Amino acid sequence: MRTNFTAAQLTDPAIAEADQILQTCVHYGFCTNTCPTYVLTRDENDSPRGRIDLIRAMLEQGGRPAAKTVHHLDRCLSCLSCMTTCAVKVDYVHLIDRARVHIEQHYKRPLADRATRALLAYVLPRPRLFAAAMKAGRLAQPFASILPKRLRAMLTMIPARASSDILAPQVFPAEGPRKKRVALLAGCAQQALNDNINAATIRLLQRHGCEVVIADGAGCCGSLPLHMGRENEAKGFAQTNVAAWSRGSFDAIIVNASGCGTTVKDYGHLLGSDDAKRIGALTRDVTEILHDIGLKTPPNPRAYRVTYHDPCSMQHGQKVIDQPRALLRAASFQVADVPEKHFCCGSAGTYNLLQSEIAEALGQRKAAHIESTTPDIVATGNIGCMTQLNRYLGTPIVHTVELLDWATGGPLPPALEGVDLPEPSTLHAATAPDTPTADAGFW
Amino acid sequence: MTANFDAFFNEIQSKLGADAVNRSDETITRYAENTMPGGDRRPAGVVYPASTAEVQTIVRAANAHKVPLYPVSTGNNIGLGSRSASTAGQVIVDLGRKMNRILDINDRLAYCVVEPGVTYQTLTDELTRRGGQLMLDVTSGPPQGGPLGNALDKGAGYTPYFDHFGFSCGMEVVLGNGEVLRTGDGSIDSDKLVNWHTSKYSFGPILDGLFTQSNYGIVTRMGFWLMPRPPAVQSFHFTFPDDDDLEEVIELCRPLKMSNFVPTLFRVANDLYLSASEGQSQEYGSGKSLSDKGRRELREHFGLGAWNISGAFYGPNEAAMAPMIQRVRDHFMKSGKARYIDHEQAKSVPTLQVAINAFSGTPSHGELGLLKWRPGGGNLWFTPGTPMDGKIANEFQHLCRKIYEDYAFDYTVMNVCGARFARGLHVITFNREDPEESKRADACYRAMAKAFAERGVFVGRAPLDYHDMHFAQTIPAFQQACSSIKQALDPNGVIAPGRYGIQ
Ligand SMILES: Cc1cc2nc3c(=O)[nH]c(=O)nc-3n(C[C@H](O)[C@H](O)[C@H](O)COP(=O)(O)OP(=O)(O)OC[C@H]3O[C@@H](n4cnc5c(N)ncnc54)[C@H](O)[C@@H]3O)c2cc1C
Ligand code: SF4
Repeated sequence: MRTNFTAAQLTDPAIAEADQILQTCVHYGFCTNTCPTYVLTRDENDSPRGRIDLIRAMLEQGGRPAAKTVHHLDRCLSCLSCMTTCAVKVDYVHLIDRARVHIEQHYKRPLADRATRALLAYVLPRPRLFAAAMKAGRLAQPFASILPKRLRAMLTMIPARASSDILAPQVFPAEGPRKKRVALLAGCAQQALNDNINAATIRLLQRHGCEVVIADGAGCCGSLPLHMGRENEAKGFAQTNVAAWSRGSFDAIIVNASGCGTTVKDYGHLLGSDDAKRIGALTRDVTEILHDIGLKTPPNPRAYRVTYHDPCSMQHGQKVIDQPRALLRAASFQVADVPEKHFCCGSAGTYNLLQSEIAEALGQRKAAHIESTTPDIVATGNIGCMTQLNRYLGTPIVHTVELLDWATGGPLPPALEGVDLPEPSTLHAATAPDTPTADAGFW
Repeated sequence: MTANFDAFFNEIQSKLGADAVNRSDETITRYAENTMPGGDRRPAGVVYPASTAEVQTIVRAANAHKVPLYPVSTGNNIGLGSRSASTAGQVIVDLGRKMNRILDINDRLAYCVVEPGVTYQTLTDELTRRGGQLMLDVTSGPPQGGPLGNALDKGAGYTPYFDHFGFSCGMEVVLGNGEVLRTGDGSIDSDKLVNWHTSKYSFGPILDGLFTQSNYGIVTRMGFWLMPRPPAVQSFHFTFPDDDDLEEVIELCRPLKMSNFVPTLFRVANDLYLSASEGQSQEYGSGKSLSDKGRRELREHFGLGAWNISGAFYGPNEAAMAPMIQRVRDHFMKSGKARYIDHEQAKSVPTLQVAINAFSGTPSHGELGLLKWRPGGGNLWFTPGTPMDGKIANEFQHLCRKIYEDYAFDYTVMNVCGARFARGLHVITFNREDPEESKRADACYRAMAKAFAERGVFVGRAPLDYHDMHFAQTIPAFQQACSSIKQALDPNGVIAPGRYGIQ
């Protein structure tokens, strides 16, 4: 695509990078049918190439963007489905991030929006504060009807059950001979919402010969503010983490919330420093490292039917697709895929709080697809997806590591407590129960 | 009488709702876009029907107001026209937005019935959900393309069910005159259509073919036969070092297909067809075709040959197929020039993985990248064919390679080989943002089309820019017959006037 930036504009490295990205888009249109917002609205401005055009016009013009542009760019999930489909591999992620920064710096949102965003950007990265806010929110739930619409929507999203254990810096020794020494990103919102994910991750890694370090000083990865256009805050979080992990010596930095994993792996781009590049290159999703190590044989195989939901950050952002499935199979579960798995569930960081209508449509659509596979249990690799889908699913949803931990000797995941699961010994064969007898073939 | 667009859109809006019409500038601009040298073609607007009855309403209104329509299903015809219409000013009937339901899957008789907007990915996902006992033949193009639009354009895949029109059975069509036709065994006047999607050749003429590469109606429903999914797929691959090895390759492939010893088609791809998806031309701007040195480096880098052959067996397990693979291996290795790549090795080579996916009925994106070999987004598919005679195939290679070089493009081709015939999928990638290069791409396509027509060879499908030119290459009686049918089924010429040259 041709662009028209002035020489002066191009002296800004951020604009120069955006210009390069914009020029690679040639408008083939392979992406349109894989963009969730376009499929829902059929508005060309809600499609990847429509948005790319809006970004081009906004950045070329500079200054205050049009309200319409902000509206359509805000509706982008940053799910990166378009990047998977794109034939020329347009670097959309860095373009939309740049656009969000430009909007944040040059557009004055209505007061209520500004307040909501500032609140989210401050509270979510701070797990203690977030846990306290959820408690207060639960107390306020009975009065929801008298609260403003946006706040009401947020209150409904507070999960009925949350268990918070904010991990202090410490070292968890490996069981048996130490194979690896890894740092675990304890995370922010996840710790406040579901502390069993970190606990299961740590047990699992220890059981597989890893010494696990919660590094002093490491905290929120910066992903949430980054996707709200608050680049400086994101950089602050990232720098803190890079410094914290650079003080130790690690074989890998482990992330168990894939939304964060995508951002940490990209620290090199965000910060540009050698240290950040090194940390980015060391970063692995927990399933990547476990897959490399090899899962222990489960003592009591439980062949439940597990439908695996790919978080966008995992399938499109990090391209970690086979490992979680392979691990679940190695743990004796029967793994089913979700139809239309390339689509986002609508969680997308703070998206379900800020764009609740589209998020709900996508959440319901995804839940229906998941339920159509008649799972006993649903597994995924991102707390955001878990929280979002929990609202729409009738089947329990857990983190992949919780199942792997359980299968290799850990406790039952809390989300499965009291759930009436079929007896593993009577579990069904590989086909969905509603499958008609497909006896068409000789095989 | 001239077209009355406002009256047409008002009628559609009032009968089908505001949501059924879109005339925004952004929409028109996007639906105008394509990859061809002739430029974008702005439609008058887009309409979105939700049912066969709504398609009828649209076609009737088009007749009343003399408005030309252009149907697209999933609209992924990229390289052949994208979503753009035959000419500017037609109204796009985008069937994919709302008519995207899988109407039926019959697991015992192994067929499915779909609306136009059902994509390869959706159908594959649904078959997987149902236990993965059946598989659909897919293309190696966009997963978001769909079986219906693809079959109507005579598209093809690579498994034994490769011929997408051939393995379709039973259509529902809204004709240009607004009538709804059911083809095949669906034509019986009954509400119990038990054989509509199982039998093609009962009473009367076979009308289905009329709706491929034509403009006589809008297809709203179509049946496709599905293949029982084999428990195991084992691919095999060979590379040959020299361009002229094509002659021997074709001779080696023919008996394996004639006897059906190998169940898949052979993908016989040149070096660039397989490596272009993994990068961009390093010599772009030289004003010449890619040099021999450049090609050699690519081959070395990707471990490919001048020609690269892929095929596959289906069986209960790997061991059962090992002797068959061994026989094919012995057959190719006796040439003394072949290098063998086995299934496991091929899985780690992205461009060979594309072949494995295609043989396994798995839609994938891997091949799309070959369009970006040159910058600027221009792409044309040129699709002549050759008899499975090594000498003739090689002559055609020389002819085409020379024309690519005359016009300074990079020869990129895959021959998809059956028993008697191979379709040559040639891609011309060019910089569409450079007017000179666009013009040159156009001239290159025309030169090849002329040269092949002179040798009695037709294209399998054509980019929209060249429908008129190719139609003019047919005999007068063919043209007359096409026009008479058009007159009979679409007397006001409202469906895609000019598509495949038929006015
Ligand atoms: C890298 C690459 C590889 C490819 N490989 C293959 C391949 O292996 N095999 C292959 O066949 N193709 C291949 N293609 C070509 C093409 O992308 C596909 O054929 C694609 O499936 C066609 O688009 P579609 O399915 O979206 O059809 P559409 O774009 O919806 O339809 C195609 C045309 O058919 C007509 N049409 C559509 N629907 C109707 C209807 N309901 N009634 C009447 N007329 C209608 C329209 O004129 C339309 O323009 C490849 C393309 C690329 C870029
Ligand atoms: S990131 Fe997702 S929502 Fe945004 S344009 Fe791409 S596909 Fe659409």
